[in-house]
Amino acid sequence: MKYEMFDAKKIIGEVTLQEADANPNIVVVSTDSAPRTGMAGFIAKYPDRYYELGIMEQSAIGVSSGFATAGKVPVFCAPAPFVTARPFEMFKIDIGYMQQNVKAIGRNCGFNYSDLGPTHYGLEDIALVRLIPGVTVLAPIDASQLRGAMRTMLRHGGPVYLRIGTAPIHKIFDEEAFVIGEGKVVREGKDVAIVTTGEIAVNVFEAAETLAAQGINAMVVTMPTISPLDEAIIRKAAEATGRIVVVEEHYEVGGLGTAVCETCAKIAPVPVKRLGVPHVYLSAGPYDDLVKYCKLDSAGIVETVKAFIAQENS
Amino acid sequence: MRTDNIKELEILAQKSRQNVLRMIRANGSGHLGPAYSCIDIVTALYFHGMDIDPKNPKKADRDIFLLSAGHKGMAQYAVLAEAGFFEKSILDTFGQFQSPIPGHPDMHKLSGIEANTGSLGHGLNLACGIALAKKQDGLKSRVFVITGDGELAEGSNWEAAAVAAHYGLDNLVLFVDRNGLQISGQTKDVMSFEPVADHFEGFGWMTKEIVGNDMKEIVSAIDAVPFEKGKPNLVVANTVKGKGFSKAENQVDYHYWKPSTEDMALAEKELAAKIAELEK
Repeated sequence: MKYEMFDAKKIIGEVTLQEADANPNIVVVSTDSAPRTGMAGFIAKYPDRYYELGIMEQSAIGVSSGFATAGKVPVFCAPAPFVTARPFEMFKIDIGYMQQNVKAIGRNCGFNYSDLGPTHYGLEDIALVRLIPGVTVLAPIDASQLRGAMRTMLRHGGPVYLRIGTAPIHKIFDEEAFVIGEGKVVREGKDVAIVTTGEIAVNVFEAAETLAAQGINAMVVTMPTISPLDEAIIRKAAEATGRIVVVEEHYEVGGLGTAVCETCAKIAPVPVKRLGVPHVYLSAGPYDDLVKYCKLDSAGIVETVKAFIAQENS
Repeated sequence: MRTDNIKELEILAQKSRQNVLRMIRANGSGHLGPAYSCIDIVTALYFHGMDIDPKNPKKADRDIFLLSAGHKGMAQYAVLAEAGFFEKSILDTFGQFQSPIPGHPDMHKLSGIEANTGSLGHGLNLACGIALAKKQDGLKSRVFVITGDGELAEGSNWEAAAVAAHYGLDNLVLFVDRNGLQISGQTKDVMSFEPVADHFEGFGWMTKEIVGNDMKEIVSAIDAVPFEKGKPNLVVANTVKGKGFSKAENQVDYHYWKPSTEDMALAEKELAAKIAELEK
């Protein structure tokens, strides 16, 4: 393995605890989801700031919003579908419409729970939360960025949704500083731009190297913030390369790919290929098999990019 | 502005009903029935029960009122106007684009509104979060919520009922505005949660049942909070939908009212007569 691996849940818990030391208003709301998933340190140190609700997600969103009304900074972390899809209307109104300072974390997003199947996949969470005006949506690329994004999120005033898988995640960057709303060109290239978000980006980096070895120079753009979208960097990628492939562990419908299409239609009309999870109910199975099936492994990305370029050139 | 005088509170409730008519006149229609059934309770909360200051509406140790049944919003606007939270001329903007008093309350538009309600089943969970935070901070603040009785069919209320009891939120007071009617008919026929008090007691709440349009009974219930230390408080307020306008009382058709000129005149006349009688 090329990169050191880290437990995302542990990072979430560690940063929450560090920030809670400095900010007495930080509280943790749990739906039977905190003690064994990274927050044990926080709970041990601040038992009076930990609120267990049991398996009760609608309430968790409303209660978190109520905490924010009283000046607290609630952190609610649970599997992505139960933070977004299950209590969506609460999210929309109690967090979004009320513009409350709530920090919602959807963990095990994508098909991280590959053995359980569609009930526990988080493949529409970006689409759902992106629809709610005024909610920041973050999807850090690696362990360092997760650390930075957590810190930034907890200090930021306003509603934030952060999505993360919870299998061990790579540490790719040394840089932890995280600025909401900024994409980054991590590799220059002129033949095609690959825009990506979340930990699946590691496969994009590998694919870009393979493509380079075959004479295709891909620009790689990471988008750890999905809302608000860094439209300037999308325009830059479009103008520099003339074609964009978007890679994400999310349904092709509604996620970053859709957001990029919307931006391109508005300010930088170039062809866009969305490479995400097909809009079907994917069977359960080993994670790597699902990644491969969706062509989200580096070989699949290489194949997709080459086919896209060939189609464009034909 | 706070008063213990029942007659003064009754007059304020009738004046607030006049404010509701003013809004309906401005817009041509509105949720008269729901507003009128709970307006005596809202009046008692703002003018007797709650520690609030219209000049400092965000003070940290204030009591907080959440109108979970946001479609009763005119009742809250009417009382807030009467309490001096905003100029009464704003009542005439009801129904206009970008009015600070939309059909359902918006906390970003009007001082004194604490939550964006209107979708049912939200207020009680918000209240639990606020009540937990106030306890953590050692503040004496209490949180008062009004839901409808039809609203109890929203399952999120029952999640909140469990949370409030589990955490012993005796600083939380729920009034169920039990007027017995909802859009499709009688609540007991549409989806029954009777007996309401028993359901909440099963979760661990302390309950009282009152006539929810009787000012004396409302005040007495508020004064008794907490009903028992360590338990959340429920007041089952048996009310009359449309209370205060003879033609509207107990009539489903007046849930949302688009008055004729004659009916509006009659409603205004009845209120004026009641106020004159009370002021004697």
